[in-house]
Amino acid sequence: MYARLLKIISQSFKAVRSFKLRTFFCLISVTLGISSISVIVAATEGAYKKAFEIVARFGPDSLLVIGGSEQARATGERQKTITLDDVKAVKQAFDNAYLVVPMTSMREVTVSYKEEKNQTLIVGSTSDYSRVWTWPVIEGSDFTEDDVKGLRNVGLIGQYLAKELFGNENPVGKYVLVKGLPVQIVGVLSERGTSPSGDLLDNRIVIPITTLMRKLQNETKYVSALRIRFIDQENLYSHLEELKFFFRKRHGIPEGEPDDFTIISPKEIIKFLVALTGSLVVFLGITGVISLIVAGFVLANLFLLSVKERTKEIGIRRATGAKKNDILLQFLFESVVITTIGGILGFILALLSSKLLMLIAEFPIYFSWKAFVVGLLLSWVVGIGFGLQPAKRAADLNPIEAIRG
Amino acid sequence: MPLCLMENIRKTYRMGDLEIEVLRRVNLSIEKGEFAAIMGTSGSGKTTLMNIIGCLDVPTSGRYMLAGREVSNLTDDELSEIRNEHIGFVFQNFYLLPYATVLENVLLPTLYFKGRRDSTERLVTDLLGLVGLEERAKFRPNQLSGGEQQRVAIARALINEPELLLADEPTGQLDSKTAKEIMGIISKMNEQGKTVILITHDSAIAAYAKRLIQIKDGIISE
Repeated sequence: MYARLLKIISQSFKAVRSFKLRTFFCLISVTLGISSISVIVAATEGAYKKAFEIVARFGPDSLLVIGGSEQARATGERQKTITLDDVKAVKQAFDNAYLVVPMTSMREVTVSYKEEKNQTLIVGSTSDYSRVWTWPVIEGSDFTEDDVKGLRNVGLIGQYLAKELFGNENPVGKYVLVKGLPVQIVGVLSERGTSPSGDLLDNRIVIPITTLMRKLQNETKYVSALRIRFIDQENLYSHLEELKFFFRKRHGIPEGEPDDFTIISPKEIIKFLVALTGSLVVFLGITGVISLIVAGFVLANLFLLSVKERTKEIGIRRATGAKKNDILLQFLFESVVITTIGGILGFILALLSSKLLMLIAEFPIYFSWKAFVVGLLLSWVVGIGFGLQPAKRAADLNPIEAIRG
Repeated sequence: MPLCLMENIRKTYRMGDLEIEVLRRVNLSIEKGEFAAIMGTSGSGKTTLMNIIGCLDVPTSGRYMLAGREVSNLTDDELSEIRNEHIGFVFQNFYLLPYATVLENVLLPTLYFKGRRDSTERLVTDLLGLVGLEERAKFRPNQLSGGEQQRVAIARALINEPELLLADEPTGQLDSKTAKEIMGIISKMNEQGKTVILITHDSAIAAYAKRLIQIKDGIISE
């Protein structure tokens, strides 16, 4: 039985090799269909992976409170509504918050070292900045609480900016000019890459928040954001509600009025990412399914044609002792062999085309065995699903009529 | 016990309300080693008779014993096995697989052979030698002449060592010289002990057989 099956499969392979035009057209359509499906699977996987990475980096136990309502943020307006007193109050009110770190920033500030100049983000924060963002200092050291209290001109530098300003020189201990203010670099932050919205995170200098407010902003009260990390990650979303209530009360916002602040949570970030990649995945998904169905119909039609063309072959096989099932299996294997090859080629095409896609758009695509297995399984579904009818027709041919052709 | 024994074989076809009787009470007995020709014009029923003898079709009624086995009420799969083991077909149009080599074409019936056989390799060499095509084993049908293609078909018909060789107008597509060669090979097969049934409308070809069976309007006579 097993030997007979092998012999029949060998016939299928022979036919796949011999009917080149049929094989070619079936391959093209199946390959295209499977490759688009593979890209979708990989893109979905990539999006998930990216989402998890971003959440991990954001901190699954963290909340970020930003000044200004969500509506104001959407229009690009940045209102400062969070005060240093708010920060203190949060520290006192939330026992489970192990880190409460205020931040304030200035965009597009010119920073220079010798002849080199760059437009940079200046962040003011406390000595807990690198801890609260899980963003380690890899060279030199963090600035200290004393630096913050003493309004000292010290700072941490991002990898990108360090390269731009210092080249291969070690920046630690050197002075840069920030808006005319000399700031000594005491540490270099590790590489962080880009934010979900595509901002380069490594182009920044972090200095004590006091230094930034007093010496650069002439500000004593307001900060732009507040980051909080909780011991009990599982209660993060109840803390979020508490925090909302706390700020509304402190800011005296009457019922029905919108918040004058925005709280960003890991969930928020996933939502953002899904909005970013979701529509593309849906579009690709529909395209993929359609192209796979089209591939199936192309295959079915070419096979029906082939069965018609090979009526005499079927007749002579039946006359020399082939059973209906032998014929059915032969044609079914022909179809599955083609779609399997199409599945493998489709996966390779997906690998290549996704490289292109990642070049054009910063789109997270991640290929694992899942995309390959899904593609291969679908190729078998198409091969069997659309190959069955023609194979049945071949098997059901009356041998007498088949041989008379 | 004869190789083929037909008793009261009837075959009718329905065409709408009309029932057409193609074979009417055929009684026929063919012994092992015989060389018989069934002669008739087109429409005489000779093709239907051949189909039943070759187990490609079953009779409407009557009994057909082939190699000692009742075959008139077997399933499609069982008939396939009978054809594979007991009958070798040679057709007018050769019916070789165009994409397979001579060797692969000859081996076609072995694909569907139920048992195991170690002698196949030797047999295929013998058969190709017998039909004079040892040198052409790797050729494709379209590289062969009509006569050569029919030789391949004969080798294919014999590869499973069937008792019965059933040749349906084997020379119909060939010129008279090649036809003679092919009939020579078939006669030789019969001399070596194969039972041969030849279906033809050509009396010159039928003359090779040792027994002549006429069929007309579904009734046979000798």
